[in-house]
Amino acid sequence: MSGPIISLTGVTKHYGSFQALQPTDLDIQSGEFFSLLGPSGCGKTTLLRTIAGFETPSGGVVRIDGADMAGVPPNRRPTNLVFQSYAIFPHLSVAENVGFGLRRSTQSKAEKAAAVEEALGMVGLEGYGPRPTHAMSGGQRQRVALARALILKPKVLLLDEPLSALDKKLREQMQGELRRLQRQVGITFILVTHDQEEALIMSDRIAVMFEGQIAQLATPEALYRQPDTRQVADFIGVMNFLPAQFVDGSAEIAGLGRVDLPDNEDGSGVVGLRPETLQVLYDGADAPARIAEGDVVEVTYYGDMTYYDVRFDGADKPVTISMKNLAGRAVLERGARARVGWDPRALVVFRD
Amino acid sequence: MQDDTRRGLLLVSPPAIYALLMLAAPMAAVLLFSFWSQDFLTIDRTFTTKNYVEAVSDPLYRALLIRSVAIALAVTVVTVALAYPVAYFVSFHVHPSRKSLWIFLITIPFWTSYLIRVFLWKVILGFNGVLNSSLLGLGVINEPLTFILYNQNAVVITLAHAFAPFAILPIFVALERIDRSLLEASQDLGESRFRTFLRVTLPLSVPGLVAAVLIVFIPTIGDYVTPRLVGGPNGLMIANMIQTQFLKLNNAPLGAALAVVAMASVTVISLLFIWLNRRNLRARR
Ligand SMILES: Nc1ncnc2c1ncn2[C@@H]1O[C@H](COP(=O)(O)OP(=O)(O)OP(=O)(O)O)[C@@H](O)[C@H]1O
Ligand SMILES: [Mg+2]
Repeated sequence: MSGPIISLTGVTKHYGSFQALQPTDLDIQSGEFFSLLGPSGCGKTTLLRTIAGFETPSGGVVRIDGADMAGVPPNRRPTNLVFQSYAIFPHLSVAENVGFGLRRSTQSKAEKAAAVEEALGMVGLEGYGPRPTHAMSGGQRQRVALARALILKPKVLLLDEPLSALDKKLREQMQGELRRLQRQVGITFILVTHDQEEALIMSDRIAVMFEGQIAQLATPEALYRQPDTRQVADFIGVMNFLPAQFVDGSAEIAGLGRVDLPDNEDGSGVVGLRPETLQVLYDGADAPARIAEGDVVEVTYYGDMTYYDVRFDGADKPVTISMKNLAGRAVLERGARARVGWDPRALVVFRD
Repeated sequence: MQDDTRRGLLLVSPPAIYALLMLAAPMAAVLLFSFWSQDFLTIDRTFTTKNYVEAVSDPLYRALLIRSVAIALAVTVVTVALAYPVAYFVSFHVHPSRKSLWIFLITIPFWTSYLIRVFLWKVILGFNGVLNSSLLGLGVINEPLTFILYNQNAVVITLAHAFAPFAILPIFVALERIDRSLLEASQDLGESRFRTFLRVTLPLSVPGLVAAVLIVFIPTIGDYVTPRLVGGPNGLMIANMIQTQFLKLNNAPLGAALAVVAMASVTVISLLFIWLNRRNLRARR
């Protein structure tokens, strides 16, 4: 019981001449909250459905709990899928939906009813059993779909963008609940999402996919702080990219000046800086490591935060800087001069 | 609001008047006649229920009514049993871009008149017909089959063929409306394809199935062309008797009473059938 619960080796998928999945290797550990993150059409659903057994891989091996899944239909796999559309059976009541998969279990009628009630309780739908499903809201349907899968105690629960149909508030609430549920039941969750924030909030590890390929697999923090490629950096949060020339162990960055960056071969490239690693300096602020000056070209006020676009002297494009709005601190006007402090340790290097 | 209502009423009035004249008025006439009596050509307009007493107590009429219901049920069962797999195949196994073509092909029999199709079956099923001569030629049988024409089997075969497209279309539409992810969800929850069919596909196609059953059952019970042409003496149905009462025996009131009894039977059976399926007919979504 120590190996990975899901193990993909060289899994590919073609639709005709179109390759939806490049050869993919992936190990997911038991009890993990794992996310597949990527833009629309990158193959997240294809990968998930391959694990669930709804797509046959064109090549490679899918193993679940050590067993090769080739030729094993979805109904014989120890996985359950929560569909994006929830796929609630419209002709059945809430309880009948949740108990759908219990038909073959050897439990008595009373035990099954108790299991259904327990599953409904887990998702906060106590007492909803006898209701017809057509009168349920999106969030409630989502919970029914979740309860229906959880009741079967699968080894792996697959979720295909389960929250994308919900409004912002409900989505945030469900994100917390999903996380709590996952800890409570200890089942491996694999979540598909195109929402990078959702992936960061919820996951133990995230695989970022582009065009049928996993670009980076890491913890949320590593993904945010040390993205491997510009594409990943661009997809996760906001990243400022500044062109740089590398010479003799240091880099000349447009608008920021020269910094020591050892272990970089000479040549050109790009460095990245997150908005929160830069700060607009007010009078009396602690002297930061480095200071650059520029003009404020855009101000976006969010209430708790203000985003400034500042064009440094000698740079073509502005960088985005996020600042907390503290009591007594004025918000700069567009067109103002800004002194900006930054820290070379926050730089991420992307070589061409 | 008021204006809207008035405009709405104005819009529906031509078809409403048409329906009233062509359907309600004749129905009322039939109902009225059924409570009168007739002696040769004179109608006696005193109210009487004797027609109904005769219609339900005379063994001949009762036998005809029971036979009509039985044949209509048989036709319905055969038609729907044949139509369902066709509708299922087109909905689930035909490439989406070819579905319209298939539906188009299914409606081709409608291009010829119903009468011609009945005659066609006469030619196929007859003593010296296509079927018998082929089977004889192939040596499968030694003498012509006689149980296929001029009896109830022939009526069932002919009507089933005539109504098949009517049955296929509503079932097809119901199957098309089923969200395919429901079938995957069922499999994901541990059910085989066959079980998924029984637990998801079939119940969700019930609205189409009920429509198909009613579309076939209701008109067949009153059909009189087919039994007349291919039914032989034992294949005659209640409608043939109604026609005889009206046109040959000069007993319109009895004919009317028989018609009312037949309509009432259809209504009762149909309502019973709908009631039995009420669970799967309830509003969705
Ligand atoms: N049955 C199919 N036949 C042909 N191409 C397909 C099929 N299913 C998916 N594809 C293609 O494979 C690619 C990946 O599809 P997939 O559904 O996995 O994307 P996704 O990452 O889930 O996107 P989204 O976020 O929009 O759901 C897409 O370009 C899609 O058009
Ligand atoms: Mg998808």
